[in-house]
Amino acid sequence: MTRAVHHDCDVLIVGSGAGGATTAAVLAEAGHDVLIVEEGSWVEQGSTVPFSLDQMDKQYRSGGVTVALGLPSIAYTEGRCAGGGTEVNSGLYWRPPEATLELWRTKYQIRDFASSDLLDICAEVESELSVQKVPGEHTDASDILRRGADRLGWRNDEIPRWMTYPEGAGATEGQRQSMTRTYLPRAFASGARILCDHRLDKITRSGRRATGAELTHTVDGESSAVTVAFRDVIVCGGAIQTPAILQRTGLRHRVGRTLAVHPTVKLAARFDDPVNTPEDVSVFQVKQFAPNISFGGSASHPGLVALALTDNWRDFGSAVTAWPELAIYYAAITSEGRGLVQAIPGVRDPLVTYRLTKRDRDLLGQGLARLAMVMLEAGAEEVYPSFKQAPIVRDRADLATMTSMFAASKASVMTVHLCSTAPMGDDERRCATDSHGLVHGTDNVFVNDAALLPEAPGVNPQASVMAIAIRNARRYCDERAG
Amino acid sequence: MSERMNDDAVAPTTIDPPDLTIVTGAAGWLGTGLVTALTGAGHAGPYHRPGAVRGLVRPDEDSRHLPEQVELVRGDVTDPDSLDDLFAGHSGTVDVIHTAGVIHPATSMDEFDEVNHRGTANVMDAAHRHGVRRVVHVSSNSPFGTNGDRTDRFGNDEPYHPYLGYGRSKMDAELAVLRAVDAGLNAVMVRPPWFYGPHQPARQTTFFTMVKNGRFPILGDGGQMRSMTYIDNLVQGIVRAELTATDPGQGWWIADAEPYTVNEIVATVGDALRAEGIEVKPNRFRLPDIAGTVAEKIDTVAQAAGRYITQFHVLGEMNKTIAVDISAARRDLGYEPQVALPEGMRNSIRWCLDQGIEL
Amino acid sequence: MSDTGSTPRTVARFAEGLLAADLPLLADDRRHETVEFIGRRVGVLPSITRFGVLAIGAGVDTAGMIVGHHRVRRVITRLPLPLLAEYPRLVRSLGYAYIWETWPDTDVNGASR
Repeated sequence: MTRAVHHDCDVLIVGSGAGGATTAAVLAEAGHDVLIVEEGSWVEQGSTVPFSLDQMDKQYRSGGVTVALGLPSIAYTEGRCAGGGTEVNSGLYWRPPEATLELWRTKYQIRDFASSDLLDICAEVESELSVQKVPGEHTDASDILRRGADRLGWRNDEIPRWMTYPEGAGATEGQRQSMTRTYLPRAFASGARILCDHRLDKITRSGRRATGAELTHTVDGESSAVTVAFRDVIVCGGAIQTPAILQRTGLRHRVGRTLAVHPTVKLAARFDDPVNTPEDVSVFQVKQFAPNISFGGSASHPGLVALALTDNWRDFGSAVTAWPELAIYYAAITSEGRGLVQAIPGVRDPLVTYRLTKRDRDLLGQGLARLAMVMLEAGAEEVYPSFKQAPIVRDRADLATMTSMFAASKASVMTVHLCSTAPMGDDERRCATDSHGLVHGTDNVFVNDAALLPEAPGVNPQASVMAIAIRNARRYCDERAG
Repeated sequence: MSERMNDDAVAPTTIDPPDLTIVTGAAGWLGTGLVTALTGAGHAGPYHRPGAVRGLVRPDEDSRHLPEQVELVRGDVTDPDSLDDLFAGHSGTVDVIHTAGVIHPATSMDEFDEVNHRGTANVMDAAHRHGVRRVVHVSSNSPFGTNGDRTDRFGNDEPYHPYLGYGRSKMDAELAVLRAVDAGLNAVMVRPPWFYGPHQPARQTTFFTMVKNGRFPILGDGGQMRSMTYIDNLVQGIVRAELTATDPGQGWWIADAEPYTVNEIVATVGDALRAEGIEVKPNRFRLPDIAGTVAEKIDTVAQAAGRYITQFHVLGEMNKTIAVDISAARRDLGYEPQVALPEGMRNSIRWCLDQGIEL
Repeated sequence: MSDTGSTPRTVARFAEGLLAADLPLLADDRRHETVEFIGRRVGVLPSITRFGVLAIGAGVDTAGMIVGHHRVRRVITRLPLPLLAEYPRLVRSLGYAYIWETWPDTDVNGASR
């Protein structure tokens, strides 16, 4: 290691995803001297194929192979690049439901949390990110979900995305309006700086005040030490890294105790004709049983089709050669279970665990069966559910076999929506931070990302994260002059 | 049937009643209510129809409680040959309402398959052979299991997830109906969850007695949701399914307007008993949720071994939510339930008292 | 603690054997490339998972040397052993995903169509 490089700033922002990028833009535009540190690299949109293994290597933590241990374990993914998850997710935009915001406000005693104010911020975000529906043709995978749900009379909607399209263009021609194209450039224009490939190891602390940060800069496999001095630090590392960072800083009160996710189970469905669009997902979601259960489309490139068939490769494997005729779909549930994120001294990554309740397990089974029915109605020839020893489903009688064999413990359960590991609110018994993200018991350590959401919102959470982050960042600027 | 059906219960249906209506399981609980309503049994209610009503009654079955207007035919759904007599000596339009079924088998688990599944297949065959106009099969919630969440509601179209032996036999029955439809039979299905009302069998009386004694086992917090169907509502649903022109092969949930919590059910029964001047002890019999799970396991093991123990079966189902959405029946059939739990339970209790049944 | 490790030899040996048995007609160079990919991914697994995989991998490898790799592979791929069964599952998932993403025309026996 060479001698430590040192940086100074007013505000250190840890992470550049939906929380960090918006925070940086708001603070920099208000005149604060902002430094962003990002563990991952800057990867230009378009330089990796969406949902490919190459993208997972470059833009996901651990190549996308991360897991919350439990029975069953739940595979999850985290973005690890400039822009975080916004660079790699499906881009589907959902405002937080008003009733959910209202529940959070009362249950967690969140001050100044009028849902109308947050929805006004959502409107700003929608315009900033060009949130819109597909102007042209939908993919076959989208049409399948819509058709199946329509035949059953189940409510389904096209979900708008943060994408721009050439005039009249189809679903696959969208340009993702991720953080590296929107809020990060805004922050830079107002003087914010970013250090990519800088991993935060530790925040040093003296009593209630954080005093500095120690980082490791890695380039071409060579690591060097970096220090940063700041007035305030805002941790935006996402629902797994944020609590781990706080715990390593000695801040543990209600931190990492209440991980909330939307667990999902999936299936592959085979049709008569080619339906697979490897680089895109369905923009339709079925919300007939929302918020308990939602259905949507998953990435379906041939590698992921093979992955979806491995649960019962002996019976399913031969379908892999027909991958152009297969598409993958998921059933997501709201979960009553909770997980833990626990930093372990001397170990790089935290231990993550999650426990599904009986209700969660039952709901996963019910969701998977209903999803399989949507596929049959849409004309699927064969459905391959992702659990060990699952049968091939060809008709409704097969659904009974499938439901009788299903157990959540045999299923490949996964999630991409992680939140609630440093919940916000004035109720100190429940919450890790105050109503605006200041960590309880500190004077200058803030959280401003998905960790603040007191519960999983029941819909794609990025808009909720951004709206709350902007709200908190503005409050910060009101209280501290730049 | 209650003394008097609500007069506003009937909206127009699209098909005239048939010249002959055949009801299987006529001497059973639902069958009795149904034939009483269809024949008018002395006073013309909204479901009274001019044509003949014929009831299938098992050879050894007590039928003295049935109205005299019902033509009785002795036979058994498990004996295909005996079903031909149902259609004998009649010309004109014929509808069949298939209510015969076993819920709690008396002797062996085989009864489920024999009566519910193969019996249904036999009835469908006979109906098809004899050129029946329309068949209504009375199914159940049990082919569909339980809801994963208390706020979940079964939609009209759901994947099969049969609950143990009964559920499997009722699922197989539905599949037999659907096969008959594919072969050209005009058959539809109604699916009532847990029904209640006059003519109820002894086990429902036990339910009243348990509530009266404050000994009804509430599992967990008692917030599980249950859809229930008052018998008049069910009769309305059956008749509408029969006399509304729809595609064959469809099925509809027929239940009271909204599901109830278990707490609400117990409290309402208590209130209804008190209203009849019966002293009701406060219900303090609460069991941990796990008791239901244990009972379900015992029930599962026992059924796998061919044994059926009613108490464990009922308790095992008690901590589940079984809640349905009736909007499809409203939309397709114009079904509109007229009676909800408080009135329905009072009618039920009065009927028991009128029969001289000790509660 | 090292961030990434080189392909652990125990895991590579197991992956080679598993893929050769699952996909007998997969060309040798493709199999080697796939095994390398699996090794890279195992190397960047989150700490706890990586320790677990390496520990199981070492155990399986040692057992294989004593009673035969083929036999051990049969046992842990067929029996629903908690944790242990996750090991072949992980190796397979990574391997199959890589093979069909890289060579989408691969047949189910590994042959190139």
